[in-house]
Amino acid sequence: MRWLTAGLLSWMMAFAVQAQGNLEIDTPAISALKASMKQRHAQLRPLYVSGAIGLAADGSVALRDASAVPLAQRGSVNALVAAENADRSALYREVARANQHPEWEADVRSTFAQRWIDRAPAGWWVQRGGTWVKK
Amino acid sequence: MPFFRIRSLLLAGSLALAASACVTINIYFPAAAAEKAADRIIDEVWQARENQSPQAAPAEQGAEQ
Amino acid sequence: MAARAAARCCCLALLALAAILPVQGIERIQLSIGDIRAPGLSVQGVELQFAAGSKGPELRIAHLALGERAWRGLHLSCPEADAAFPEIRCRGGEIRVGAKRLPLNIDFRFDPLTSAFDAVLRLSSGSTVDIHHDGGNLVEAALTRFEIGELSGDLAGFAAQVSPALAAELAQHAAKGTVDARLAWQQAGDADPHEKLQLQARLSGGSFSSPDGLQAAEGLALSLDLTARALAAGWDWQGRLAWEGGEAYLHPLYLQSGPVLQAEGRLNDDELVLRMATLELEGVDQFALTARIAREPPSLQDLTLSLAGGDLAILGPHWITPALAPALADRLRFAGHAGAGAEIRNGQLFSLDLVFDGAGLSLAGVDEGGEVRGRGLAFGPLSGHLPWSATAPTRASLQLEGGHWEALSLGAFDVDALLDGGQVAFGQIRIPLLDGALVLDGLALEHGAEGWRGQGGVVVEPLSMALLTQALGWPSMSGILSASMPGMRVSTGEISLDGALVVSVFDGYLQATGLRVSEPFGVASNLRADIEARHLDLAQLTDTFSFGSISGYVDADVKGLELAGWRPVAFDLRLASSPGSYRRRISQRAVQNIGALGGGGAIAALQRGVLSVFDTFGYRELGFHCVLANGICEMSGIAGRERPDGGFPIVRGGGIPALDVIGYNRRVDWQELVDRIQRVIENNVAPELH
Repeated sequence: MRWLTAGLLSWMMAFAVQAQGNLEIDTPAISALKASMKQRHAQLRPLYVSGAIGLAADGSVALRDASAVPLAQRGSVNALVAAENADRSALYREVARANQHPEWEADVRSTFAQRWIDRAPAGWWVQRGGTWVKK
Repeated sequence: MPFFRIRSLLLAGSLALAASACVTINIYFPAAAAEKAADRIIDEVWQARENQSPQAAPAEQGAEQ
Repeated sequence: MAARAAARCCCLALLALAAILPVQGIERIQLSIGDIRAPGLSVQGVELQFAAGSKGPELRIAHLALGERAWRGLHLSCPEADAAFPEIRCRGGEIRVGAKRLPLNIDFRFDPLTSAFDAVLRLSSGSTVDIHHDGGNLVEAALTRFEIGELSGDLAGFAAQVSPALAAELAQHAAKGTVDARLAWQQAGDADPHEKLQLQARLSGGSFSSPDGLQAAEGLALSLDLTARALAAGWDWQGRLAWEGGEAYLHPLYLQSGPVLQAEGRLNDDELVLRMATLELEGVDQFALTARIAREPPSLQDLTLSLAGGDLAILGPHWITPALAPALADRLRFAGHAGAGAEIRNGQLFSLDLVFDGAGLSLAGVDEGGEVRGRGLAFGPLSGHLPWSATAPTRASLQLEGGHWEALSLGAFDVDALLDGGQVAFGQIRIPLLDGALVLDGLALEHGAEGWRGQGGVVVEPLSMALLTQALGWPSMSGILSASMPGMRVSTGEISLDGALVVSVFDGYLQATGLRVSEPFGVASNLRADIEARHLDLAQLTDTFSFGSISGYVDADVKGLELAGWRPVAFDLRLASSPGSYRRRISQRAVQNIGALGGGGAIAALQRGVLSVFDTFGYRELGFHCVLANGICEMSGIAGRERPDGGFPIVRGGGIPALDVIGYNRRVDWQELVDRIQRVIENNVAPELH
C-alpha cells in the first residue's frame, strides 16, 4: 500500500515538474502566427506610438483613439486590428493546443495580456483596471 | 475475507485518489512557464524593429532559427 | 438645430401675438396678455411697454415654456428706438433671461395696425436670423451663416437651456459647420385649416468627431428640404436629405458623399414615423425603408428595409467585409448581385431575407507570413434564397454552379438548410469533385458566443487518383481515393474528422485517420493526420517519381503528420519492406537516389567500386525512419540493424549481387532533402553527392 502511494506521489510530482518547465511553443502553427504578427507589427507600431491603438486587458489590440488616423484610413486600421486579433486568438488557442491542454486557452490569453502590457515600451497605451493609461 | 475487503477498499480509495489527483493536475496551469513562453513570443514579434531598421526587417526574417 | 430655429420662431410669433391687440395711442403703449397655450408652448405674463421719449420699448415675459424647458423673466429692451407712426422700431435691442444677457442684438420693426413684424437677430459670430411676419398667418425666418460651433462656444449656455442633451452631444462631438436655412411657417387660417412648415437648410464644411474618433465626419455638405403639415395626429412631413460632400467614418464603415434620402412620415409627441423612405446608394438599384422611432428615449422600435439589385462587388468591400469580417478585408472578394429584406420589431431583429443572383464569394489563400497567395477557396455563381426568422424555423435553398478549392474545381451543387434561431441544419450537400464527390451529411452548426460549432459526417465518393494528381500537378498516379468520416466536429479554430480517408494506390492502400484541420482560414492553417500505408508497389512508385527502379512492396506508417500550407512540417515516418515473398531488385540509380536520402555517406564506395558495373542488385529488406521536427529530419534505417560504427542500413542486400546501403548522416535538413529529391525527379539524373 505504501509503495503504491509513494509511486502515485512521485508520478504526480513528475507531472507537476514537467508542467512547470517549458511550454511547447515551437510548432509550425505558432511559427506561422509569429511570422504573420511580426510582419504586421511594422504597420501597427506607429499606431501604438500615436495612441490610435492600445493593448487591451483581454490580450487583444483595441482601436482606442481613431482620431489619430486620417478618416479615410480608419477602415483599414480597423481591418488591421481585426486581423491582428484573429492571429492573437489563434495563437492563444495554438499554445494551449500544442501543450495538449486546449482548456488552457483562457489562461494563456490572460498571461499574454499581462505580458503584452507589462512589456509595452513607454508611450504606448495600455488598458489597466478598465481604463486606458499611457505608459 | 475482511482482509481482502479492506485491501480492495484501500485499492479503490487509492485509485479514486489517483483519479482525483489526475483531475487536479489537468486543471493546473503552469503560470510561470506560460509567462516565459509569452515573453519569448513577444520578443520575437516585437523585436524585429529594435535591432534592424523597419524597412530591412521583412527580407531577413526567415533566415534565423 | 431645427429645434433651436423653431424655438426662436415661436418667441417672435409671440411678440406678434402681443401686437394683435388694439392699440390706443402711440405716446404710451402698455399691453398685458394673459396666458398663451399651444402644444409644446406655454407663455404666461406677457407685457409690452412703450413710452415715447423714454428709454425705448420693453417686452417682458414672466414665464415661457417650450417643450420641457422653461425660462423665467425674459426681458427685451431697446436702447435705440423710435415710433414713427404707425411703426415701432428698435435697434440694437438686448434680450435678457433673468439677469443674463443673450449674446445677440435684435433690430425690429413692428406695425401695430397690421401686426406686420420684421426682426433681425445678429449673433456676435456674424451670423444673422431674419424674421418676417406679414401680420397674418405667415412667419418667415432665414438663418444665414450660422456656425454650429457657436452652440458649444458663445451660445453654449443658451443651447444648454434649450436642450441639455443635444448641447452636450454637440460639445462632446466637437460639431462644426455652417448652416444656412430658410423656414416658412404658415399658421392655420381660413384658407387652410392646417398649420404648415417649410424648411430648406444647407450644412457646409460640417465636421464632428466622437472622443474616440470612431464616429466622425469631415467636409460634410448636406442639404435638406422639408415640408410639414399639422394634423390632429401630429405633423405630416416629407423631405429630401442629400449628402453632397465629405466623408465619414461610422465604425466600422467608411462612407463617402453620394447617398440621397427621400422620406415622408409623421412626427408627434411620442414618435417619429417614416412611412416610406428611399435611399439612393452607390451599388444599389433600389433601397426602401420604413421605420418607427420612439422619441423619449430615442430608440429604433420598428424598421423594415428592402434592398434590390445590390452589386456585391461594391457592397462587399464597403459594407459587408468591414461589418462582418474585417480581419479578412484583404482576402475576401465579392461578385454578382443580391437583394435583402430585414425587419426589426420592438427593437429586435425579427426577420432577414437574402436573395442571391449569380453571386460569387472567394477567399484568397495566405502564406505563412500572412501575405495573400494562392487561389484559395471560391464559391459561385450562387443563386437562391436565404430567409431567417426570429420566431419560426425557415428553409434556405441555395444553388451553386461551382467553385474551386486551390487547384481543385468544384462542380455544381445545392445547399438546403433549416435555419432556427442561431442553429443551422444542412441537408445532404454533395459537391462534385473530379469524377467523385465530397458529401457532407447531416451537418449541423450552432452559433454561440465563441463562434460556430457543430458536427456532421463527411464522405468522399471514390475519385480517381489519375485525375486528382493531374489537377494538383503531381506526378500521375493511378488508383482511387475515397473517405468515410462519420464523425466530423467543427469548433472555433478546429475541424476534426473521425473515420478514415482511404486511397487505393500503387496496388496497395493508404489510409489516413485522425484528420484534424486547425485554423482552417488563418495563417496557421494546419492539417494533422496519421497515415498507414500497406503493400505499396515500389515498381510503380519509383516509376511515377522517376526515382530509378525498385521492385518489391513497402509498408509505411506516418504518425503525427502535420501539414502547414500543404507542406509537411512534422511527422514520424517509418517505411519497411512488406512481409511476403516477392521479387526484390533495386537499380543502381535507385541506390544512388536512396543514398541522397541517407545524406550520401555510403555511396562513394559504390561509385568507385566494381559493383558499379551491375545495373540491378538484389535486396533482402528496405527500411527507413525519419522523424521530422523543426525542419530537421532525424534519420535511421532498418529497425534493429544499427551498426556499431554508428551507421544505419537502409537497404540490406541479399541475392547476387548483393548490396547494403548504409547511412551515416543522422540529421538532415528537411528542406535540403526535399530540394534534392525534387532535383532527382525533375532532372532525372543522379543527385550530387558530397
